Amino acid sequence: MIAVWIVLAVVAVLVVSFVFGFNHLVRLRNEVNTGWSNIDVQLKRRADLIPNLVEAVKGYAAHERGVFDSITEARSSLLRAGTPGAAAQANDVLTTALGRLFAVAEAYPDLKASQNFLRLQDELTDTEDKIAAARRYYNATVMRYNTKIQSFPGVLYAGALGFTAREFFEAEEGDHAVPQVDLTPPTSQ
Amino acid sequence: MTLQEQIRANRLRSLVLIGGFAVIILILAALLGAAFNLWVGAFALAGALIYAVFGIISSRGMVAAMTGAQELPPEQLRPIQQLVDTVAIAAGLSVTPQVRIIDDPAPNAFATGLTPGKSFIGITTGLLQTMPKRELEAVIAHEMSHVRNRDTRLMTLAVVFAGVIALIANIAFRTMAFGGGGRGRNRGGPIVIVLAIVGFLLAPIAAGLLKMALSRRREYLADATAAEILNDPEAVAMALRRLEMDPTTVRHADVSVAHMWIESPTSRVQDAPPGGSALAGLFDTHPPLASRIEALERAGGFKLPERLSDEQPFLAMA
Repeated sequence: MIAVWIVLAVVAVLVVSFVFGFNHLVRLRNEVNTGWSNIDVQLKRRADLIPNLVEAVKGYAAHERGVFDSITEARSSLLRAGTPGAAAQANDVLTTALGRLFAVAEAYPDLKASQNFLRLQDELTDTEDKIAAARRYYNATVMRYNTKIQSFPGVLYAGALGFTAREFFEAEEGDHAVPQVDLTPPTSQ
Repeated sequence: MTLQEQIRANRLRSLVLIGGFAVIILILAALLGAAFNLWVGAFALAGALIYAVFGIISSRGMVAAMTGAQELPPEQLRPIQQLVDTVAIAAGLSVTPQVRIIDDPAPNAFATGLTPGKSFIGITTGLLQTMPKRELEAVIAHEMSHVRNRDTRLMTLAVVFAGVIALIANIAFRTMAFGGGGRGRNRGGPIVIVLAIVGFLLAPIAAGLLKMALSRRREYLADATAAEILNDPEAVAMALRRLEMDPTTVRHADVSVAHMWIESPTSRVQDAPPGGSALAGLFDTHPPLASRIEALERAGGFKLPERLSDEQPFLAMA
């Protein structure tokens, strides 16, 4: 009789700890999803600013075709990116291309003084700050989530229930765009 | 604890608070009903509930009025709203609290609201004129932690409930002082005793509620969360040091909203007389800034220099 009770108690403890562990995983996954959608919103906003910015600079420096092409290309690969890692990499490429665009803009005082350009530049800086903020939150939650599903006892059931490890929002080592030596003074305020 | 678990813990506290309040009000109404008659009890019950609901619904506007926090047109707020949006994203919120400005030279800030979407962060003009961007961001992150962890909701509930209970206690005492109106002397006895019990029981309950809301642990927790949100404990400590150095206090230092500010506007620890500071500390809504800075230094493993950084303030002085 006692043996039956012991077995029942052990089963009850296991069931309860599984329920708590499962709910914890669901909460963590929701936090990861919120974090990703925050990044996604800002990446889209950044991509939306690009055409206007390119138009603004084109009005003064139409001959700088190479810069515009590389930006347009980086933008569309950012919009196409299917995974956080790919998006981070495309975003880095876009940052490099934008750096070149602002270096070009340096040579045109009229452009730099135009309200439209200043506003776009301000918006872009704001978006970049927000991407950095969203990345911080997202990567921290992904770290917690991945640790949970890869450690005991989560590792026993997480995979079977569809909790898979998530990708960090960062470009993979070695895949980075070649860093450019930028000798122009910083363009942000 | 994950973010959602912190929120759940505070939600549970809020529920306990609401349940406890309901029980207290019911007991009071029953006592009044037994002492006078059923109608008095029912009337008191309805009055207390209406007052509480009204208080909770109008809390946002009341806080804004009591602190003088004003809404400004978006184009004027743009740089500050951008900063608040960024901190909200870093905190993992999907909605951003509104920003309101208090025209006051003393640097300070607070947050209020029942849900993140309906919250606002009040910032004094003094804060914008003294803090560089990095420290201003830290102050906003501190307030954002209160919003995110639903501290603001818990505080609102506790303050409103404490107010209702204090009001009933007050009425009980006054009624007792006037001898229960012109009723017969033989009925005065039990009524006075009931009212006395009610009055004496309620005061500590109201005080306990307030203490729960004003828990000083919440300030340490908000500092720590702000450091985590920004990944920059030093910025939070620097902002607190700057608040500590500043001698001014906000004009709208109403006691009923004192607990909300990042730096207590009513009592300043360094102003307390030497021997009395320990006693003053007991009644302070906030831990001393120095010990908050120390907690951050210990957690972050750094030592803040005595001198403040001389970076340009977010809004350069006009």
